[in-house]
Amino acid sequence: MAKHMISLTINGDTYDLVVSDTQTLLDVIRGDIGLKGTKRGCTTGACGVCTINDSKGRAILSCMTHVLEWDCESITTIEGLESNGELDAIQRAFIEYGAVQCGSCTPGVIMSAKALLNAHPQPTEEQINEAMSGVLCRCTGHVKVKEAIRNAHRIREASSHAATD
Amino acid sequence: MPPPTDPQAIPAQEAELSVVGKRQPRLDGPQKVTGRSVFTDDVVLPGMLAGKILRSQHAHARIVRLDTSRAEALPGVKAVITAAHAMGMAASSTESAGEASRRRTGRAIKLKTGESVFADQVVTYIGEEIAAVAALDEATAEKALELIEVEYEPLPATMDSRRAVKPGAPQVNPEFPGNVWSEDIDNYGKPDEAFESADFVVEGKFEAGVTHNLYAEFHVAVVDFSRPDKLKVWTPTQTSYLMQHSLAPAFGLSLNQVQIIHLNTGGAFSGRGAVRPHHYVAALLSRETRRPVKVFSAGDEEFLIGRALGKNRYKTRIAANKDGTLKAFDMSCEMDGGAVGNEVGYFGWMAGLCNAWVFDLEGNRFRRKVILTHQRPNFLGHGGMMVSSNCAVAQLVAKVAKSLDMDPMDLLLKNAVEPGHTGLSGEVFASCGLKECIETVRRESGWDDKYGKLPPFHGIGVAIGAMASGAKGAFKHDTSAAMVRVGEDGLVTVYTGIPDMGQGTHTTMAMIAAEVLGIDANDVQLIAGDTDLTPVDVGAFAQRGTITTGNATRNAAIDARNQLAKHAAEKLATEQHNLVFRNGRVIRADDPDQSLSFKEVAYATLHGMEGRCVMGRGFFNSPLPYGTMAWSFDAQVAEVKVDPETGQIQVLKVTVAHDLGRTINPLAVEGQIDGQVFSAMSQVIYEELVTDDGLFLNPSRLEYKMPRTYEMPEISHHMIETHDPYGPFGAKEVGEGPVVVTGAAIIAAVSDALGGTLIPEMPMTPIRVLKAIRGSELYENGGQKP
Repeated sequence: MAKHMISLTINGDTYDLVVSDTQTLLDVIRGDIGLKGTKRGCTTGACGVCTINDSKGRAILSCMTHVLEWDCESITTIEGLESNGELDAIQRAFIEYGAVQCGSCTPGVIMSAKALLNAHPQPTEEQINEAMSGVLCRCTGHVKVKEAIRNAHRIREASSHAATD
Repeated sequence: MPPPTDPQAIPAQEAELSVVGKRQPRLDGPQKVTGRSVFTDDVVLPGMLAGKILRSQHAHARIVRLDTSRAEALPGVKAVITAAHAMGMAASSTESAGEASRRRTGRAIKLKTGESVFADQVVTYIGEEIAAVAALDEATAEKALELIEVEYEPLPATMDSRRAVKPGAPQVNPEFPGNVWSEDIDNYGKPDEAFESADFVVEGKFEAGVTHNLYAEFHVAVVDFSRPDKLKVWTPTQTSYLMQHSLAPAFGLSLNQVQIIHLNTGGAFSGRGAVRPHHYVAALLSRETRRPVKVFSAGDEEFLIGRALGKNRYKTRIAANKDGTLKAFDMSCEMDGGAVGNEVGYFGWMAGLCNAWVFDLEGNRFRRKVILTHQRPNFLGHGGMMVSSNCAVAQLVAKVAKSLDMDPMDLLLKNAVEPGHTGLSGEVFASCGLKECIETVRRESGWDDKYGKLPPFHGIGVAIGAMASGAKGAFKHDTSAAMVRVGEDGLVTVYTGIPDMGQGTHTTMAMIAAEVLGIDANDVQLIAGDTDLTPVDVGAFAQRGTITTGNATRNAAIDARNQLAKHAAEKLATEQHNLVFRNGRVIRADDPDQSLSFKEVAYATLHGMEGRCVMGRGFFNSPLPYGTMAWSFDAQVAEVKVDPETGQIQVLKVTVAHDLGRTINPLAVEGQIDGQVFSAMSQVIYEELVTDDGLFLNPSRLEYKMPRTYEMPEISHHMIETHDPYGPFGAKEVGEGPVVVTGAAIIAAVSDALGGTLIPEMPMTPIRVLKAIRGSELYENGGQKP
């Protein structure tokens, strides 16, 4: 099996990696790097728990993505959402609005929500439904997940006001 | 039975609650939203190998040749095992002789579930374990599986429980001629007399399809059996206790030589209540290689090894009088047990009981027949099989109302049980808010403005249900123990063996301890999920968490409080019963200006001359010899629209009123209700594993449908508080009561939308809806409701 040398930036840290043709981003994130926050689910792109963000802040299914194509790219995983020890507004919204239950899909759900909020900070109901339809969650029935997404901007604004006060 | 006199009761303390009833975010929330929570698949141990399992491709076949030599020779392969390695494993020590004799399947290894770890000579379903490999990595293990040579001689298979019982049908297990695993009749009250004296009888048939519980975390186990005297198992589960009881005898170990570590459990939905073959396989591989082994199932394998509902076929009769009195139920169910059949009969018994809890009946009969087929062995879905049995009942109750031209709400109110009611099997409902639940959903759903007044293909339906909080009867005992340790800094640690699969039980336990000790729930930490550290707890099923483990935790916290109160009473120059622990202080009830901080009391107690270690111990096991002590009650109204062109059902709104005794954490309760509405809606409209000769045709999360975000209805929650005398702070269950009602409300609403046409099966897929519409009066009348 051919091996290749690539460089990949994860949550701001750059790694030089030797990878094979068949390895996915998920394999590398969880295996080579050892970041276990991104979950392994169906590994066929059906459940969405492995979702991460690319450098443009878009949602990517890491289990369906060959790592070879990501040489010199930059990605964000669930571990990269915090900044300066502060949780991201969407993470705080998930806690406050009860959008977390078993937590197994939560990293993928949050990274999908983050991608949506990157593009639409105050998304419409339709945009939420569209963006979140790719992640399966049986515990919450999506109800409180949507509530958290709807209210994330308020939490963000409240904390940015607090920062400037 | 009178309400208990609680020797531990502390009236001054509990007169005003300061933690219970607050919207408390989950204590593990920050860990879960940052990806720091560790799940079993995240566990990496030094020297860990990857395990993979070779599974049968035939529903019924003889294994003529099994050659593992090429796999063994592959570099990186550390072990290849087959049935020969699993010989001599004993069945569980906890089962009765009767159960054990039923389980003599004539195959190599008989386990508690009745399944064998590996097929020995004959395979009886697609997906059955034949061999397993441990290798340096998953890719090598997978390659090794391909090198195992299996030659099958296909045998005729019986795939449908109706055909399986006919003469000449292929036999699944020679010990059960005719493929009948078990046949039982449960009689409560006087069903025969009630049917004879009734004014009329309605009848109906109902079928429910094959499912998977679809937890977000797939089946996975990490096992370290490198030491012969310690079997360590990391796995998602609802019960570390029963896992110990199954694994220990199988490997000749004592119970506590088996250590179960359940970390976070990624959903369970009634599906993780037993040890499964992959747990034994991982243990055997680890024993063989003396290295830790991880077995993770991916993709379609997850569906093959899932144990959920099989095909259930109900025939129901209801006896009623012309004034709307429901007199008796007679339900029979043919249950497809799959190739093993051991586990499903019990759930039929539960369904039979559950059907009758909400109605004041004269008689109730439930006949259950478990039939063996060459399908996947079956277990239960979210809500047991009560989601479907309640649908079958609700359809006929609606039919009774319709035939009497009576509003279904009035019919339910007329027959609903009340507090103090003694049920047909002797259960006493100490608290019961059923009528209040019904009245609440009637009001909140706008029922009176809608029922009978909606346009064609737009309907509204109501259903009710009840659920026992506790497991006595299902198991020999219903024990939970807990410990509450107070640190010198005033931080409190609760030790509990109950798993949290997402339902929020750990936060509930922290809130209960915090309430008793008068501190903030955020100052409580949990030690859970490790049988080497935590006290005994039967597990998180049968709705025993809040009431059983909750009472144990409350008792442990009271014990710890009493240890602190001794010092505080001396300091405040008063008696211990004159103390109130609240808002982080220990206060004299008769003189609230006199108080000490909780931390101060904790520090002084721990460093007193007595050298007291503040560790409260608590315990709860229902004092009844059999049966549970508290029941939740639930009423729901669903409003739906049916598209007559496509057959698609849109659920517009579900109004839920649930009598949970006392709301401990409203945020968690709402989440529980939302999830159960989702799950029941999913079961009655979407979820079905389509099989063809035992092969699943849709074993993927894309093709096995659940509702997506845009398909979810508006959900309106109403918590009815009846303060049950047996529950901690009066609380009862809310983990399964709602799910068994939503489906029945939706099915009644669909029937209303179709002018009374009943769809006799679930899920109500578009094709079944269209079939029902085509055959209905509504269709004949060109869309006009008759």
